[in-house]
Amino acid sequence: MNLLLVIPFLVPLVGAAVTLLLRRTPRAQQAASVLVLAAVVVDAALLLAKTAGGTVATSQAGAWEAPLGITIVADALSALLVLVSSVVLLVVLLYAIGQDIGGLSRAMPQVFHPIYLVLTAGVCLSFLAGDLFNLFVGFEVMLTASYALITQAPTRARVRASMIYTVVSLTSSILFLTGVALVYGLTGTVNMADIAEKLGAAPEELRMVLALLFLVVFGIKSALVPMHFWLPDSYPVAITRISAIFAALLTKVAVYAIIRSQTLLFGRDDISAVLLWMAIATMIVGILGALVQDDINRVVAFTLVSHIGYMIFGLGLNTVAGIAGVVIYLVHHIVVQASLFLVNGLIRQYVGHTSLRAVRGLTTVSPALALFFLLPAMSLAGLPPMSGFVAKVALFKAGIEAGGWLVYLGVVAGVLTSLLTLMAIFRIWVRGFWGTPMPDMVEARAQLRSGSSRAGLRFTTAMTGVMVGVGITVAVMAGPLTDIAFTAARELLDPSAYIDAVLQKGPS
Amino acid sequence: MTTADGAWRAGADGDGQGDGAAPEGWEAPRERWLSTVVRPAFGPRSVLLEIVARLLIPAILTFSVFLLLSGHDRPGGGFVGGLVASMAYVLRYVAGGRHELAAGLPMRPNGLLALGLLVACGTAGAPLLFGRPILETFSFSTVLPVFGTVKFASFLLFDIGVFLIVVGLVLSVVAALGARMEAEEEEARVRRPRREGGR
Repeated sequence: MNLLLVIPFLVPLVGAAVTLLLRRTPRAQQAASVLVLAAVVVDAALLLAKTAGGTVATSQAGAWEAPLGITIVADALSALLVLVSSVVLLVVLLYAIGQDIGGLSRAMPQVFHPIYLVLTAGVCLSFLAGDLFNLFVGFEVMLTASYALITQAPTRARVRASMIYTVVSLTSSILFLTGVALVYGLTGTVNMADIAEKLGAAPEELRMVLALLFLVVFGIKSALVPMHFWLPDSYPVAITRISAIFAALLTKVAVYAIIRSQTLLFGRDDISAVLLWMAIATMIVGILGALVQDDINRVVAFTLVSHIGYMIFGLGLNTVAGIAGVVIYLVHHIVVQASLFLVNGLIRQYVGHTSLRAVRGLTTVSPALALFFLLPAMSLAGLPPMSGFVAKVALFKAGIEAGGWLVYLGVVAGVLTSLLTLMAIFRIWVRGFWGTPMPDMVEARAQLRSGSSRAGLRFTTAMTGVMVGVGITVAVMAGPLTDIAFTAARELLDPSAYIDAVLQKGPS
Repeated sequence: MTTADGAWRAGADGDGQGDGAAPEGWEAPRERWLSTVVRPAFGPRSVLLEIVARLLIPAILTFSVFLLLSGHDRPGGGFVGGLVASMAYVLRYVAGGRHELAAGLPMRPNGLLALGLLVACGTAGAPLLFGRPILETFSFSTVLPVFGTVKFASFLLFDIGVFLIVVGLVLSVVAALGARMEAEEEEARVRRPRREGGR
């Protein structure tokens, strides 16, 4: 049990050291990275198999008892997210390797691999952290790596975007640390299970303030309206592999932190109304932004903001069905966003840019590309039988069961957002994929076909296909996924199993 | 370097010799206080700084090792020790430039970073092999002739890893910001020698 819980962050760190030493031999470096991530995927699958039934796995680092030491915890939610994240990380890594083999990217592979693995460690540690401070550490490891990654292949636009990104992230990190300090001052502990027990005795107002503080902290990081302004400015500018990972994972880690902190640490109905209002605002504002953008990458970035709203809506319902819907949505959205950004990268590779003003007739240029775009896009809009449909239906059903005028308003906003998402996608489809291709696009494509980078490009395209395939797998596995989601939701709303597992002596 | 240095250098360059030779009437120091004789790109050699660096660096490094060893249950530890040790190297860099820095390092900063990460992760993960949780510490005490009772803890290895990571990281920053700028400056000077009037 100790081993399973530790591998997801320890092995990537060792891998980072190894790839740093293997700088001069790119092939060995690539092999090491792939092996590390494959190990994490296998480990996460085993962990999920252990926790899917509702057991909570814990490991006390340094054998210090729970409230004092660092606890590593995995329940169904954590294990599921580690699994999905590591699969996405692995596929994006393979995509990046394909680009490097073909010489298609100006990123520096010798720098990219170590930092990418550090990012992996940070993401996994955030999901598995059992105390608030360790969650902060996980976030920081992840963010520090992301600061370095966002400026890979630096251009003026990228440096500018990374400045915004870094300043905003650091601000929220400072607030996060302040929040941890306040919680510690109030309860005398940073262990989340322990806080959950002790915070109940704290005055109602203080609890409310802390809950809101943490909502702001993670709201900045997950780009909830009105704290979303930085995301569409920074993510789309980075190179493809980076924006795909950022869009897929970084905001979702923050959503996970919102779920964990608002269910485990703070009271039940305290801020449900706030969450619902924020969810509605996020959905509508995000999708309206997407409708007026002229660059495919930016459209997708705005839909990312918009669809975070669905998850917050489910959390605001505060019912088992609602939170189960959030879990399904998380899984679906991680995979779909990664696919869409990878496809955008392919478009940029094939024809040189992603601006809707200058792209036309992509279906003629590459039918495979059109298919790879259409499938995740349909899923994002929530058309059956894709995973987005499953997730949205779960959420709406939970909303209608929960009742109340605000919830109904949220459901209406959700349906409206779905339709507008469809509209945003059709805008891309009609303007970018239909029609006769521009002459410069045909030329770029022909040049690429005859160039030396063909093998790399083919591999990259295949990996995009694999990512789309993962998305379809999510839809096919909807049954088991729903079971796991409901287990996770029940654990979140009744955290006694979690608290018992952490505070009593672990099974080690 | 400060403006005072710049002015001094302008004077030195002005007499047509350039390249950090001492101005008229100065006895150039014959002793080598540092291991390389390449003069730093920014400003001329400062004999004072070289002597201070020569004298201080062993003391700073010794102190950093003291901090590393005492860190287990007193103030100190790998992080602080690493910071102090890297300051010794930064001093050496300021006094002697990037060649001096490279001469004083057993391996490149990246290598230090990787080695530190390996040692730290290895120590953190080693208890897993015995079915124990990560980071668990094993310690034993023994009596040594001069030092008296000494406690050894496996955590020291972890701290050494942290120490190496910190040194590697600080030196990477120095290499990326300072040394690269210095190299570019040197390149510019080769391309355009004899720029009259200093900067």
